[in-house]
Amino acid sequence: MAPDLTPVQQERLRAIHSRYTQPTFVTQLALLAVLLLIPVTFSSFRVIDVTSKIMIFTIVVASYDVILGYTGLLSLGHSMFFGIGAYSLALVIYHASSPSWYHLLIAAAIALGLSVTLALVIAFFSLRVKAIFFAMMTLALAEFTDILAVQWYDLTRAEDGVSFKMPGIFDVGWSGPTIGPLELNGRVMTYYFILIVSVILFGVMLRFVRSPVGRALKAVRDNESRATALGYKTFHYKIFSIVFGSSVAALAGVMFAMWVGYVSPGSVLSTPIMLNILLMVIIGGLGTLYGAIVGAAFIKITETWLPDMQKVAEALLPKSDLVHRLAERWILYFGVLFILVVFFFPKGFVGTARDMIKRRKAKAGR
Amino acid sequence: MAAQAGEQALRLSESELDLKKWVLWALSVGIWFVPLVWIDPITYLTLTIAGVTMGMLLFLTASGLTLIFGLMDVLNLAHGAFFAWGAYAGFSLLNWLNAKGWVELAGVGQSVGSLAMVLGVTLVVGALLGVILERIIIRRTYGNHLKQILITMGASLVMIEIIKILWGPNDEVILVPAAFRDSWDLFDVIVNKFRVVAILVGSLVFAAIQISLQKTRLGITVRAGVENRELVQILGYNIRRIFTGVFAAGAALAAMGGVMFAIFKEQIYPGMGEENLIFALIVVIIGGMGSVTGSFLGAIMVGLAFNYVAFLVPKLALGVNIMIMAVILLLRPKGLMGRE
Amino acid sequence: MSDPILSLNDVHAHIERHHILQGVTLSVMPGRATVLVGRNGAGKSTTLRAVMGLTPATSGSIELEGQAITSMKPYEIARLGIGMAPEDRAVLYTLTVAENFRLAMSDEDGQGDRRLAQVLDLFPDLRKFMSSKAGILSGGQKQMLAIALVLVRKNRIALIDEPSKGLAPVVVDHLADSLNRIKETTTVVLVEQNFYLASRVGQDYFILDDGRVVHQGRMEDLAEDHELKQKYLGIA
Repeated sequence: MAPDLTPVQQERLRAIHSRYTQPTFVTQLALLAVLLLIPVTFSSFRVIDVTSKIMIFTIVVASYDVILGYTGLLSLGHSMFFGIGAYSLALVIYHASSPSWYHLLIAAAIALGLSVTLALVIAFFSLRVKAIFFAMMTLALAEFTDILAVQWYDLTRAEDGVSFKMPGIFDVGWSGPTIGPLELNGRVMTYYFILIVSVILFGVMLRFVRSPVGRALKAVRDNESRATALGYKTFHYKIFSIVFGSSVAALAGVMFAMWVGYVSPGSVLSTPIMLNILLMVIIGGLGTLYGAIVGAAFIKITETWLPDMQKVAEALLPKSDLVHRLAERWILYFGVLFILVVFFFPKGFVGTARDMIKRRKAKAGR
Repeated sequence: MAAQAGEQALRLSESELDLKKWVLWALSVGIWFVPLVWIDPITYLTLTIAGVTMGMLLFLTASGLTLIFGLMDVLNLAHGAFFAWGAYAGFSLLNWLNAKGWVELAGVGQSVGSLAMVLGVTLVVGALLGVILERIIIRRTYGNHLKQILITMGASLVMIEIIKILWGPNDEVILVPAAFRDSWDLFDVIVNKFRVVAILVGSLVFAAIQISLQKTRLGITVRAGVENRELVQILGYNIRRIFTGVFAAGAALAAMGGVMFAIFKEQIYPGMGEENLIFALIVVIIGGMGSVTGSFLGAIMVGLAFNYVAFLVPKLALGVNIMIMAVILLLRPKGLMGRE
Repeated sequence: MSDPILSLNDVHAHIERHHILQGVTLSVMPGRATVLVGRNGAGKSTTLRAVMGLTPATSGSIELEGQAITSMKPYEIARLGIGMAPEDRAVLYTLTVAENFRLAMSDEDGQGDRRLAQVLDLFPDLRKFMSSKAGILSGGQKQMLAIALVLVRKNRIALIDEPSKGLAPVVVDHLADSLNRIKETTTVVLVEQNFYLASRVGQDYFILDDGRVVHQGRMEDLAEDHELKQKYLGIA
């Protein structure tokens, strides 16, 4: 006869079972279904393009959230890892005489190797210096990598960038069978590949922050001295968090390169990328992995369809040069938006939503 | 009796510390003669002047940053935007002066006059921007470093975009007052005239800042505030107003640094502030937050290191400064002359 | 029976989420030395900081000669004539002693130099160190300087927080002498754990415990009351 479960164990079982009926789980499934069906429903390349980029950036931003939102470490060099991943793939495929699928694995391995090493260096510094210095150091390092990429022509082709063709089924030109309404081609296959990898990576990150390690990270973020007093080797956790987050960002970079087929310092390494990541994570909400989805979606959708709105504005007021200039400077509006969000919605979209739900539950006296 | 003995012991150990300090200083100064092993004296001199010039220009920006951080504990990533604004304000002013014949065809007197005017105007523009930024934004973020970093990044973005709206996003050529163009030839060493001007201006600014800090009551208040904000308030000073003033001064210095840098490179572009900010940050870290002397020395160090290494191993030039910063952070995290 | 120069009424104060002062009510009489005693964490320092505006009161009122100063900023309160020598770091180490004085001195009434001379009379040791950095002074000298900075301003009230901390008994004695000399012209409010100093200087006392005043009275009475001292101060 099995021994009776303790109250704690019973509670845990109950929590696990209820997970599958909670509204959030249903939303997750719905989202997955939507993503699966996008190539089927939309033949416009733009839509698929935006969705891919949203997925990729969701992973980048979520990995950043692990480091900043969950561990409380402000690194301004996250774009560096994204760029490393992108360049790894680009250069491997570019230099391979007959690229094949295993080059993908090689590239991923190189990307991971480089990012883990660099992440360890950064992590080491995060332990030695105070938060502000760490931020400044990572900023300097990221800028340095950017400038290096621009200047080291032999390796990176500098500002010209590296253009390449993906092998096999990911080749843009590949054409496959048509299954129902869906015509399989290089783009579509790449899209589903990215979808699968993104879902896996996101799932890994979710499990990570919900695991005991993840909870320890939150303890470190909230009150490091107390965590140390409780016996946690905080530096182990910090190192782990940085290495983990950075590696995931590098993998996202690999996917980005796969999708776009072209990398250059401006598209994967520069400061605007880091700013974008920050903007996305703040809008979505720090410390809420799902916020990454919201943030990435918002920014990418706006970025893609803003030029259209610009054209509308120009069509309405064709004579005004000032209006043109104002419309072009949409980065300005992002900047203002950023400031406003930091001031008024510091918890971001998902964070504020969660707060509201909590408050409503408290009022209902649960 | 015991108290006196204690005091004597204190003073003895102080002189021991002084000895160690002197050794460290001797080393840090001596190390700059190491490149002579690989470089011939004439080139060395040229590079040294170039390095000191770069250092002076960096110092202008870094000094404001270090004071802002030292006194207000605010990490200001909008500093680069002040730098750029200074450059563009100077650019417009020089164009306007040129229309009056004061720049391209100027004699020595007019050149000096235009430069003085340009510096004065950029100081004012910088100070104004600083006051605006401090009151609207920085005020609400005291004590929260993360917010400061994010907000100042956003503010910087906004300010640079406004530059692009007002002046266009492209590179522009900035005019140099005629008397400061070209170079002198001293014993085979080519000395660019504007470099000398830059060194002069930098030294004057350093002297002015030091005198203000050491001799004036305001300076004493600022130094006290860097060390102990609370006590200064207890002594009856409105630290908030002093904060605004220091922030404005820092912004003014950055603006000045911007226009000097622009004239030096004879070029301006909206992104110039960003790049310079990185160097300024490195200088502040090396010199120590809150120490003006520290940023002066750090700036010269960075300038010299960059120029020597750029000559010997060009690709490492940028990296060497990051390495210096890393070494300093490891050995003496508060910087060469930092406190706290 | 004159009016109190400083009165606190049901003052509450929080530090982050901690409710430190839970309703402090006390009055300080002019020209008399008032001592706040109590265990560690009772809220004595926080009470002084609340008066000075450093840890603003979240509710209740603080009045200086009838004028409400509860929500004023520290520098405004300082300008009304309340001076403070905080618990630690009460002098500026990187400034010279002379610069410390220059910073602290107020001269609107033209009496600044006279006050400085008086203060240097009170603490003659400081004369020797005028051009040295305050950081090299001994603990006792630093404390003297801290009190001197309070006195060199035109202050009606001097809030002094644990001056005896870390000082040798003979220095504490000297401190007590000095405080006794000034208490008639400048009302002294002293926070002290050292009962010897508290009883030598204080005339009125308030015992704080758990953020409230639990006992008050004249110092002579407390000195005799062993039971009270044992209960709230942990001394026989």
